[in-house]
This record gives sequence, C-alpha cells and structure tokens, in this order.
Amino acid sequence: MKKVLVANRGEIAVRVIRACREMGLSPVAVYSECDRDALHVRYADQALAIGPSPPRDSYLRIDRLLDAAKASGADAVHPGYGFLAENEAFAAAVQDAGLTFIGPSAAVIETMGSKTAARIAATQAGVPVVPGTAEPLDASVPEETIAALASSIGYPLLVKAVAGGGGKGMRTVTDPSELSSALRAARSEANAAFGDASVYLERRLTRPRHIEVQLLGDAYGTVVPFVERECSIQRRHQKVVEETPSLAVTPALREAMTAAAASVARAVGYTNAGTIEFLLDEDGRFYFLEMNTRLQVEHPITEMVSGVDLVRWQIRIARGDRLDLDPLALLRPKGHAIECRIYAEDPDNNFLPSPGRIRHLRAPAGPGMRDDSGAAAGLDVPIFYDPMISKLVAWAEDRPQAIARMRRALDEYLITGIRTTIPFFRWLLMQPAFESGAFDTTYLDRVLAARNGRPFVEPTPEIEDVAAIATAIMAATAGPSSTPSPSVWRGQARVEGLR
Amino acid sequence: MRYDVEVAGRTRHLAVTRTGDTFAVTLDGRPYHVDAALIDAQTLSLVVDTVSRQSYETTLITDPVTGQLTVTVAGVAVPVALNGQRRFGRRDEGGGTGAAPQRLAASMPGKVVRVLVKTGDVVHARQPLVVVEAMKMENEMRASRDGMVAEVHAREGHSVEAGALLLVIQ
Repeated sequence: MKKVLVANRGEIAVRVIRACREMGLSPVAVYSECDRDALHVRYADQALAIGPSPPRDSYLRIDRLLDAAKASGADAVHPGYGFLAENEAFAAAVQDAGLTFIGPSAAVIETMGSKTAARIAATQAGVPVVPGTAEPLDASVPEETIAALASSIGYPLLVKAVAGGGGKGMRTVTDPSELSSALRAARSEANAAFGDASVYLERRLTRPRHIEVQLLGDAYGTVVPFVERECSIQRRHQKVVEETPSLAVTPALREAMTAAAASVARAVGYTNAGTIEFLLDEDGRFYFLEMNTRLQVEHPITEMVSGVDLVRWQIRIARGDRLDLDPLALLRPKGHAIECRIYAEDPDNNFLPSPGRIRHLRAPAGPGMRDDSGAAAGLDVPIFYDPMISKLVAWAEDRPQAIARMRRALDEYLITGIRTTIPFFRWLLMQPAFESGAFDTTYLDRVLAARNGRPFVEPTPEIEDVAAIATAIMAATAGPSSTPSPSVWRGQARVEGLR
Repeated sequence: MRYDVEVAGRTRHLAVTRTGDTFAVTLDGRPYHVDAALIDAQTLSLVVDTVSRQSYETTLITDPVTGQLTVTVAGVAVPVALNGQRRFGRRDEGGGTGAAPQRLAASMPGKVVRVLVKTGDVVHARQPLVVVEAMKMENEMRASRDGMVAEVHAREGHSVEAGALLLVIQ
C-alpha cells in the first residue's frame, strides 16, 4: 500500500490524510464543486474533482470515486464516516477494482448495516436486544399492519431506518396518532440519506444511557475492545458530547459490556474498526442497539485515553498486519477525555443551520487539547453537507480537570462570520447534571425544552458596555463620515491609521 | 465624535476623542480610557479601565445577507446598531399572537421537500406545514398559531433562498 484515496470531505478527510502522512502513504483527496478550496484538498498530495456539490452527484458516486482512484494511481480507499462508509456495494466495488478497502468486508457491512439483521446476529451471540420488530418494514407494508405491530410493542416507541445511522431516519412516537407522520418523515429521510425507505420499530426505554464499545479486529480472528464511551448527551438523537470512561460503568460492568461487544464482533467475523452501541437502563442492564461498521465521529476520545491511533490501525489491519495491542491495557483508561461537536448551527435560534463564510477562526490549543477540524478562516460552510465543523477534544488526568480544560478551550475558541454551538457548550458544561454525570439520553432534550429558547450566553452589563465602546471606536477610526454605513467595516485601508 | 449605539434594546450615547493609540471615551456620561490595538479589519484588542485595565478581544462583523452588525466580546455575540442603522435579520416564524398573519419564511437556503397544506386549509398551532431539507436534515416548519392558510408560495422540489416566503396563515 502506497497511496490512499480518501473518499470523504471535511474534518474526517483531514484526519485520515494526517494518518496517511505519518505512515509515509501518499494521500489523495476528492472534492465536489463547492469544496475546491477546502482544507482536505489543500492537505493532500493529489486532488480530483468528482462532480457537483449535492452528495448524490459527487461523494455518493461510486463510479466517480473509482475513476478518481484509477486516475490517481491509488491502491487503497478510506471511506471515512458517513457518505459511502457503510455501503456494502462501495466496499465490494473497491475490492472488485483490485484496490484495498480500509474497513470491514462488504459481507459484514451488509449484515450489520441492516439494523434488523444485526439484532438477530446479536441475539445469536447471546447479547440481549431492545424489544422491537424482527423483520424490516419496507414501503409496501401497509400502515395498519405497522400500527398493529406498534401497539403490540407498546408506546413510546421509535421508528428507525433499517439502513440508519447518525440519528437520521429516526422518529419518536409517544402516541398512536403520531405514528403516521413519524413513519412518513422517517421513511423520507431514510430514503434520502440511505436510498432505502425500510424502517423497524423499537421500544423506547424510559431513561437509558447510550454506552458504546470501540473495537478493532484483524484478519486473523483477533478482536480487541476498548474502554466504553458515554454518548448520552444527545439532541434529537444526535450525539453532541461524548466522553470516556463513563461514570455509569463500573469495572465489572465494563468487563461484561466489552466482552459482549467482542463476542458479537467475533460471531460475524468482524475486521477493522467498528463500534457496538448499547443502551444501559436504570437497573444496570444493557441491550445491543446497533453496530457501526466504520470509524466513529467520536473516535478521538478513545485515542486520547488509550494512546492508540485508530486510523493508523485501520490502515495497518487493511494491509494485513496483526493486532499486537495488549487487550488488558486497553481496558484501563489513562485519564479522561471529552469531545464537543462544534456545529455551524445557531443555538439561540432552535439550532437552525448557519451556513456561510467563516471570517475568523482561532482554535484553542495548549495542554490536553485536540481540535479535529475541517474549517478555516475564509472558507464557506456549504449547505449541502453535515454542518459539523470541528470536534473539540479535551484530555486530562480526571473528569473534573477535563471539564475545566474544555471550559477553558471553549472560551478560547474564536469563530466569527457564522453562528456555532460553542455558546451552547459553554452553558452545558456549567450544568450541575453534567458535572455530576446524572444524565441519560433524554436529559438534553428535556432541559432544552424547559429553557424555552432563552439565549445560552447572555451579555453582562460589562460586555454590553464594551460592545458599545468597540463599536464607537471602530466608527471613529473607520473614516471621515460621522454617520458611516455598515459597509465601512469592511475597509481595511480606512482603519490602517489606528495603530 | 459622538455616536449612538443600540445594544440589547437600549441606546447608549458615546463620545470618542483620540490621542495617539489611546481613546478617551464617555459612555452615557461615564469616562473610560481605552487602549486599542487593531488586529485585523474587524478585530480590536481593547484594554479598558472598566474595572482595572481589563483586556477584551472584540470583533465587529456585518452580516452580508441581513446587514446586521454584531460585536463579539469575550466570545459573546452582541447585535448592535450604530446611529440607528440596522436591518433586522429575517425570522422563520413571524406572527404568533393576535390577528396578525403568520408569514412563514425559509430560515435558511434549502429545498422544499413537501408542502403539507393547501390554500383554505384550517391549521392549528404547532401543525407541520412545510418540510424543507437543508444540510441533510429535514426540518418541519410549523404553524405558530391557529388559522387558515391564505397563500401558498412554496413548491415541492424547488430550492428556496433564506428569507423566501413559503406561505401565509391568516
């Protein structure tokens, strides 16, 4: 393996390119029309255009990605996460073209990619699953049949895309009257995101935690689990903060959950990096939720407490290396790590996407900080893709120190031109429930609803004074006119005289 | 020079006199000594005697779409207006109370996936009206009040710009 095509964009493309560089492999980027000036293009050795900005015309085009691989001379393909990362046809096409797919086999992606087939696989491995429908419900299944199944499972329940992931194609139904609209929304979103409108139903546990186990498996049957990740801080089923280890997991529970995760992976012959997601109920019972047959967004926190470079191992496993990590050491966390997903969303306007041009960007640095970002000043955040612009990760010796470090970093993070979720995280990390760890997957939606849209960071009188002073000084130095128009702020030349 | 700056709904009166790199500022009659360093066209580092030589980093940005002026101080974004000049940002859900019509506008650029109502339909508060897809997520835009659909401008499959009128509820 000498040259790796990274079939993705944004921060994860940058992350994979970094691993390639460190291993002496030549990284190849691909880009859609709106991504020509993106960071992953600038960091790569080669960069190939693959079509218009909508994902279905570029990052989801298997033919164009394979053409790009051939044209560049790449001998391996890394899918990142999202887009085609869990598409078995893509994995198979890469292999059929004589290239190495950096990920699991097409067959195992297909099995675990179907949420219903994965539930059967887990049951066969002796791991409990959340009660729900066993078979997928495709678009031809009449609504009355689904309504009958729903009442036998009981409300509240979740409608979930069989091909789902990342919270897409998922709706909560608390009352039978909402089933129809939830089905329509979930099917439509699932069809748009995954090209498959099939759904299934699953009981919604009342106050579960979302706990997941990262795994690596090599081609020789070795599977090693890592310390669990706590991902219960979710907004509308999307993880927004992750940490490891979890306050809710005792050493005995860790042993049981990691062993269960490894047995599911072994049962399906899993290779490369993958994650088993569990729900943990209030009584300490855990249930298999699903398996993600790819690298996770939140993989950096595992890297911080294990000292293991997961992307490097993905590449090593794909080229046939044996896992030689000490499995016992992997289950002893070194310190504590927290990740905040920084999104281009306006938290003070119901988290609506806030695309646009980034004017300033200064990422935090210093001890224990890691900023996995695909953003830079001068770049546009396009409307076509997921609005996540950065993953901010804090590591420290223990949880209170990691929280303190993250608060410090959020205060340092400067992004202007677009709205981001940074003010929301500054608020969240001050909440007593976050500090004590007394939260579950319903926590964030409940407290957000109760806040009723109040701004997350409200200016103090002092901040208001300084805002007024800054505005007046800019105006005083911006030009001769005493009533300047807003456009004067853009003129660097007019303010040169200031210092 | 004298300026009126509106911050958080309150108009503040300022006078600025420059001496070299320092500025004598009076804010609603209170004097401040301000040392200002220009970092780039929008960024000022200020050292102000609000308490005792406090240091602030401030940026001043005009939104290219709405014209809204925003000052960021210590990571807190504060919308301001200078000498009464401000264009308000557009909101997705206007109206909400009384008899004023709700003018539902797209809050971001995207594609209209579904229009769930037609002219003349009676709708209830919180009822989904239009589904707009942006950034891979489908967003249901809902009625903010009970009423009747008076106008439908959204068309399924069409792209919309931020601020585009989708429908009106009377």
